[in-house]
Amino acid sequence: MTIVTGKAEVRRRLQPGRSGVLRKIWEHRADYAYVLPAIAVMLIVIAYPIYYTIELSFFKTPPGLQLRDKSFIGFDNYTAILTSEVFWKVTWNTLIWTLGSTFISFVLGFGAALALHRDFIGRGILRAILIIPWVISAVAASYIWKWIYHSDFGIIGAVLVGLGLADRPPNFIDNVSTVLPSLIVVNIWREFPFAMIMMMAGLQTVPDQLLRAAEVDGANAWQRFWHVTFPHLRNVSTVTILLLAVANFNSFIIPWIMTGGGPSNASHIWITHIYELAFGRQRWGVASAYSVLLFLMLMVLGYFYVRALAGNDRKEGSA
Amino acid sequence: MTRITLGSAVLRGTVVGVLTASLMSTSALGAPPVDLSKWSPEYVRSIAGTQDFDTAADCAKVTPLDYKGRLTFWYQGVFEGDPDLLRQYYKDFFETFRKTYPNIQLEDQALTYNDLLDKFRTALLGNAAPMAVRLQILGGTEFASKGYLQPLKPEDVGYSTEDFWPGAMKAVTWEGVTYGIPTNNETMAFIWNADIFKRAGLDPDKAPATWDDVVKYSKQIHDKLGIAGYGLVARKNAGNTPYRFMPQLWAYGGGVFDEATANPTYGEVELDSPQSKAALQASYDMYVRDKSVPVSALTNQQADNQPLFVAGQLGMMISHPSDYNVMLDLQKKATGTDKDKAQTVIDNMRYGLIPTGPDGKRAVVFGGSNIHILKPEYVEGGKVDEPAAKAIICMWSSPEWSLKMAYAGSNPGNLNGFKTKWMKERLDNIKFLDVTTSMLPYGIPFPALPQSPEIMNIIVPDMLQNALTGAMTVDQAADDAAKKVKDLMGGL
Repeated sequence: MTIVTGKAEVRRRLQPGRSGVLRKIWEHRADYAYVLPAIAVMLIVIAYPIYYTIELSFFKTPPGLQLRDKSFIGFDNYTAILTSEVFWKVTWNTLIWTLGSTFISFVLGFGAALALHRDFIGRGILRAILIIPWVISAVAASYIWKWIYHSDFGIIGAVLVGLGLADRPPNFIDNVSTVLPSLIVVNIWREFPFAMIMMMAGLQTVPDQLLRAAEVDGANAWQRFWHVTFPHLRNVSTVTILLLAVANFNSFIIPWIMTGGGPSNASHIWITHIYELAFGRQRWGVASAYSVLLFLMLMVLGYFYVRALAGNDRKEGSA
Repeated sequence: MTRITLGSAVLRGTVVGVLTASLMSTSALGAPPVDLSKWSPEYVRSIAGTQDFDTAADCAKVTPLDYKGRLTFWYQGVFEGDPDLLRQYYKDFFETFRKTYPNIQLEDQALTYNDLLDKFRTALLGNAAPMAVRLQILGGTEFASKGYLQPLKPEDVGYSTEDFWPGAMKAVTWEGVTYGIPTNNETMAFIWNADIFKRAGLDPDKAPATWDDVVKYSKQIHDKLGIAGYGLVARKNAGNTPYRFMPQLWAYGGGVFDEATANPTYGEVELDSPQSKAALQASYDMYVRDKSVPVSALTNQQADNQPLFVAGQLGMMISHPSDYNVMLDLQKKATGTDKDKAQTVIDNMRYGLIPTGPDGKRAVVFGGSNIHILKPEYVEGGKVDEPAAKAIICMWSSPEWSLKMAYAGSNPGNLNGFKTKWMKERLDNIKFLDVTTSMLPYGIPFPALPQSPEIMNIIVPDMLQNALTGAMTVDQAADDAAKKVKDLMGGL
């Protein structure tokens, strides 16, 4: 076993050419120094809460007692969650919410980006208008949409009744079947401008020469999109989808403000359910176990996100 | 005209007597400053304006007026459903406190009813709570039982226990120790629009006598006029829901436990009793069968019913006397023909006693708020400035301010408040106050248990939502709720 004996030895070992990994670290020492403060803050405000949440997930925390009176129960909270009906209902809701919101937001955002990429009069104004939903506070948007959807006096209902298209206002958010799709629509309305901006940025990177060359070669609009534009957008699309998916998994404001997870838990997704368990019902242990499961799922998404970014870096590096 | 038989009169009298005894009298206490056995609108009028109080002088005996200190204080403040009048009184209180105690650095924070419990619980977990807090009546036992609160009785801030409603004192008592002081106590009343009643073919000057009548009237209003009959509220995590459903549940003879009896033991869960199911069935009939209540009841609160009522789109609702002032505020904000329509609704606004159940039982939630002092270890900085905390508690629970802070919507926690000149002024200015004070003897406190907030804010609304959305039948929803309460009481 080699024992490092002094500063000179360390310096000698870190000299370029001695070891691949250490050499790279040495080369990037300034970069590490720059990110060190951020890492230190993260350790305090993120790492400790994660550790504490994981620890708490192995304890029973009866609502009638203080948190310090918790008792160790091993994996019982996890077993209770995975065997409960509510878990599967909430998980199903979360999947519908996340997948529905993510993919429709992406498709609409992509479509809007393609349309706005062309040069036409009023493009700037239209772009500004389409960004509005994204810059409005989610809290304000939730209250506005609550009144738009209102089951008795909502704007949509009034218009439909006024035009004779319905006898009475449709029940959007007070119905177990329609509440989740209605909330997804609101979420898409809020999120698609983000996808649009990302894809517009991506479209700027598509070389004009290639598109013109394809046109000269006789490629039609669809062929130019499919064979030239889309391949260039693959990485930015992946990143956009992953960012949207992570945001939607963690989404809280819209469902909580508009319905509080109701009616009859029909719009509870993981985050709102965890919030209710922790802060409404004080089941800190169970809520922590739920959070750990959610954390693991997000880590999987995070892995793919980092991989996508790394793919971008490699591609740019080789270009 | 309703005919009352001798049997039902005796039964009603007995029920009211038992409830009154439960709420107002206890042999362990001395004589209260007002004669609770004579409680009636006439008696309340006769004692109003009969005594003067000097709040600053009284509180100076608790904490000298030149005391120098610092106080962090959270309270359930005014929200969108409160009248402007109340907003002004809250502003006046804090200005007066700062003038009376110029050397106390007060850091106050107002939170809404639905946010306060969650935020307070979170702050406690991080030992970052305020030194003093004013909580809704449901919260007292929860935090006292967990050991967060310091013992605090009226005598500690210059008053006597007999100065407060015995029913309210129960809500701040845990295992025989008092942990707070009631600031205000309230009972709601039944409100209806006489014009809508008339147009629907109902007697415009008579409230529905029973809850079964409410169901019938609601249907008749909806069928004849195409508007909502009764303002049902079934939102989860909203205090408005239990305040409106529990009177119905108790009137039918049901309950979560035996909280509607004179000496509750909270031993048996009764949410799945036939009487409780009958109450739930009445809500089901209105929402699902007759479709005579707002469809938005599952996501709405009372604050959402108020604009419907003033727009003439809602026939009946349960609320405070302050709703009259809220309607006046809304009318002021209306424009064009809406202003006249709102005035017509206000002119036709009527208040009555909350309906009875099938056996003549009348009940209402005995609600309100309490004020508490935290233990130092749960407070930010680890220190509590007790003299400063007692100064604000003395002021808020004084006859003067406990009345003023409840001016439009509630009643003073300190019974001496009924004797003040402001009570006399209030009786002249606040329409329908007589009705809600008449409801006080029918008031039933929520179970004085630490589990009550979860039962009232989550389990009971869940039961309603499960039945009203068709996710479960009425029987299943009641059984499911009863099981949840049993599990909760069993520590699950």
